[in-house]
Amino acid sequence: MSDRMLTISMEINGTPTDPVDLPEDLMLLEYLQEYLNLTGTRYGCGQGVCRACAVIHDAPDGPKVVPACITGVAWANGRSFRTVEGHATRDDQGAITQLSAIQQAFLDHFSFQCSYCTPGFVASATALVERLETAPVARGDVEEVVLKALNGNICRCTGYVRYLEAARDVILSTPGLTTEEVAISDTAT
Amino acid sequence: MPKLSRRGFLRSAGAAAAAVHVIPLHQALADLQTSPQHQPPNWVQNGKIRFRQDGIPKVTGNKVFATDIRAHDMPGWPDEQSHALIVRADRTDRRFQGVNLALLPDDLAPDAFVDDAQVQQDGLRMIEEDFYGRLFLPTDQAPSYLGQPVAVLIYHGYERFRRANRVLQFNPDALRWGDEVTPRDLVPYGGARFVRIGGPTPDASDRFSPLKDSLIFADFDQDESPWPAPDPEGEAGGRGMAYAEELRSELSDPPDGWAVYNGRYTSQYVDPAALEPDNGNAWYDADTGALHVVVGTQSPYTNADHIEQMVSASRFSLTDLRLHPGYTVGYGQKEHHVLPYYVAVAALYGGGRPVRLALDRYSHFQGALKRHPFDTRMTLAVDRETGLFQSIAADLRGNGGGVMNFSPSVGQVAASALQGIHYFPKSDLAVQVDASRAPTAGSMRGYGTLQSMVAFELLVDEVATDLGIDPIELRRRNLLHSGMKNTQGAIPAGTMRAGELLDAAEADPLWTQHAARKAEFEAENPGYRYGIGVSCVQKDYGTGAEAALVQLEITPDGELHMRHVASEIGCGSTTAQMLMTERHLGRYADRVDFAVIDWPSLPLNSNNEPYTMSQEDQDAAAQDPHWVPRITSPRSASNSAYYFSHATNEAARLLFELGLWQAALSIWQEGIGGGQAGPLVIRRDQAEWRDGHLVASGLQPLPFADLARRAHERGLITGVTVHTFNRWAWATAEFEVDGTPVSGAIDALSVKWGSGAGADKKVRMSDAGYSFQPRVTVNYPPTQRNNASVVYYAPVATIVELSVNTGSGEVQILSHKSWMECGNMIVPELVSGQLQGGIAMGIGHALYEDLPLYEAGPGNGTWNFNRYRLPRASDVAVWSQHGEVIAPLSSTDPPKGIAEVVMIPVVAAICNAVHDAIGVRFHETPLTPERIEEALS
Repeated sequence: MSDRMLTISMEINGTPTDPVDLPEDLMLLEYLQEYLNLTGTRYGCGQGVCRACAVIHDAPDGPKVVPACITGVAWANGRSFRTVEGHATRDDQGAITQLSAIQQAFLDHFSFQCSYCTPGFVASATALVERLETAPVARGDVEEVVLKALNGNICRCTGYVRYLEAARDVILSTPGLTTEEVAISDTAT
Repeated sequence: MPKLSRRGFLRSAGAAAAAVHVIPLHQALADLQTSPQHQPPNWVQNGKIRFRQDGIPKVTGNKVFATDIRAHDMPGWPDEQSHALIVRADRTDRRFQGVNLALLPDDLAPDAFVDDAQVQQDGLRMIEEDFYGRLFLPTDQAPSYLGQPVAVLIYHGYERFRRANRVLQFNPDALRWGDEVTPRDLVPYGGARFVRIGGPTPDASDRFSPLKDSLIFADFDQDESPWPAPDPEGEAGGRGMAYAEELRSELSDPPDGWAVYNGRYTSQYVDPAALEPDNGNAWYDADTGALHVVVGTQSPYTNADHIEQMVSASRFSLTDLRLHPGYTVGYGQKEHHVLPYYVAVAALYGGGRPVRLALDRYSHFQGALKRHPFDTRMTLAVDRETGLFQSIAADLRGNGGGVMNFSPSVGQVAASALQGIHYFPKSDLAVQVDASRAPTAGSMRGYGTLQSMVAFELLVDEVATDLGIDPIELRRRNLLHSGMKNTQGAIPAGTMRAGELLDAAEADPLWTQHAARKAEFEAENPGYRYGIGVSCVQKDYGTGAEAALVQLEITPDGELHMRHVASEIGCGSTTAQMLMTERHLGRYADRVDFAVIDWPSLPLNSNNEPYTMSQEDQDAAAQDPHWVPRITSPRSASNSAYYFSHATNEAARLLFELGLWQAALSIWQEGIGGGQAGPLVIRRDQAEWRDGHLVASGLQPLPFADLARRAHERGLITGVTVHTFNRWAWATAEFEVDGTPVSGAIDALSVKWGSGAGADKKVRMSDAGYSFQPRVTVNYPPTQRNNASVVYYAPVATIVELSVNTGSGEVQILSHKSWMECGNMIVPELVSGQLQGGIAMGIGHALYEDLPLYEAGPGNGTWNFNRYRLPRASDVAVWSQHGEVIAPLSSTDPPKGIAEVVMIPVVAAICNAVHDAIGVRFHETPLTPERIEEALS
């Protein structure tokens, strides 16, 4: 534990935060929740195991999913992140005018019950979709790709099926995310 | 032993000393935005809802959980947020000497320190200490269990709070300890025995049964056997024990033709791992005596009642208690859990600032309720020729941990569920739940039945193998058919349809092509063994004292407003209840208030002793038309789909019959010669709703809005509030409303007349705008029916296909398929999600989840998900699983509660499949790679 303070600022959901002195060992999740009142990113374990706290780090080479509960503000300083509050389109008053494609799919598929894990799944599935925009995969590999991308997120209510089906359907129905080539696995007999 | 069951404690809908309000969290926040809770935009398409009513705020990360709330989010609260940490004992072998605050630097001295001495001084005591435990461990006493709370530290500011927490957490010197103590002798929390000796045929009168005669309770105060002495001519307990003795004697010296099998199963100690850890946030305004509590709970009414009692009895003034339950999740972990009381206590010492007490995962593991581990021993006699079960004796031993909580009734439910889908001509099922120094176990999903039904399902598989009978066929031969009695001697409700699930499983390619698939898989995958296993169980829903309140009201402009006791724990009950009005009113609820506790429109009182009162007392109490056996129930026991829906359905039916149908008649009969209805015959049972219009007998279709307007104009009934009660049968009552006899499966009713009502009616609407209608007669289920223990069942069958890596011992689920019967589904997608989620949780129980009970276990404060493995998507055959719900028998089959049963058969199916794969039977879960490796070696 350190008592040292650092002056921290970063970009959250497209908005730069004001520089603020924070404990050097403060985690990004604590910063979001206790300083910015962005509580949609949830605490689950504090170990980066369950990914209830997953957020998107918009890195120069593309979106990465990071567990905010073990991501220090010292590392986050100067970087750009998206939390669950930043995925939908909102009007000037902050009211939602359109959900993101992944959010809409999770809603349509009844993917969640309690929803504690939902923000983490939104982050992981969204990052996958965005990654496929530049690196599409064969349609026959989509289920395997989705499973791999979302396997880090723990859900205790709905058993994963409806989250993964929703993500799969978004990918299969969005032009450019898949190639038309037949997957090697599909040709195997 | 006290006959404890799941219960709510609220004694009266409006009799608390302080004003008590339970306000759903979303409503409190909605107050900030001054927006009413209406149907979500674009919710209904082609007559069906497109998503959960709470879906949009949940998927966008809005503040819906209690843990999301900070002081500045709550209207009227001060902005400054304080934070509390709870310190717990991590050993029980020495006397506690205090928290070592000297470890904290000067600037980290707590702003408030609350321990036993402090609360004693202030007159604060836990309500129902026997049930919840003492608030804090006194100094100089040894803890009675690991994880016992010793103090709460409060900090005015987050940074100091987190620094202090870092100093104390995991610090072996955080608590000071004195002399070593000798472990105490612990008295079991309870024991009970279900003895049933059937007559010559299943439909003949039982010679002895709990329902006909009595349950038998253990008395651990005496030195000898806790059970009554066998006495064939004595009281019910003695007679039952005589029958039990005879049954066991017969099993030890069986008649020719009987095969007798001994089975056992040891279930592990589990944390259900609700992802939202226990938490709350509360503000006490000493100037006004108002206490505001935000909390994640499955029992908001009980929490409100107990906090009110606890604070009112202390030095702290309490004039107003406002409890805001957030949307939450628990799987039972937040049902009658203890944390809300610590949240309230912390607030009292907050110095006027709101205090947040939110457990981290380590602390949640250390203090949150656990699933009881059970050791089950069974002796089953089977006729060798027919394969029919003849007799069973079972002894179940549970470990309830440090505080009693629901342990006695968990044990009873476990024992009464052991039979699953099967019929026994005679049975002696004995259960005892012990106290121990482990963190407390409570009301987990399944409520003991996971443990007992898996035990018997493993034994059935063993018997099938030994007798050379197909496991599905053996189950079919022994089915509890419609009209047969369960082990309590009660006849279950309705048609028993588990046989249809067995038929479906038996016809599935997984079963019919078993040998070929096994051979093919093992040829293609050297080093792996293939296996399939089956299991079919049926699980009760409800508690035997289910009570609910619902108010439905139509507005002059054609909206339908609902107030309901239901609160949301993730399963979708709030969504479902909004839809339940459609059958009678042709419309989903437009605006809703959930988790409502204040019911001024239906003034009721209750002694709240539905399980223990005598028949004589019930008969006397029922003379008071305001009396009901219980005000309402917690959200638990899979009770929403059937019991809450029944209340909604009855309210909707009465609102239609007393209001909208009368309005329709007044329109159709308008004009000379009886109007358009004059030439026709019109009967109430001809009415139906089509596309939002009421139609009947070729009459002009009438939209809901027109009927609402007419009902108000004519002063017809436009609102009803009902109360319902079920003790394994519904209470029914008759009323006289406006001179018209009205009957229903309800026990209290009030009505509201529309805006055009005359002065004579308006003066009668003195209960928050409603008029209480005293019942003319009431018929409560007899108190003896408590002994039925269970009559409502929902069955699920599951087949699992898996592989075992013979090198590593790892099990991989290849696919699974389940069949379920649940009556008419309210929202099929929610039912499907429950099935899928329950199966995943069951897979975790079968293969991964396990905790040591004592010093190495969660009570030591070091457990987290890094070493408590939960199933992930790759563990549950996410792309190769199937679930089917068989069609209801009629459009009026009531929906059944399925939240618990879904996770059970998969556990036994996995164990049976592992046996199929490697030829080894396991009698202990989880089936870890280490256990399998050891067995293979």
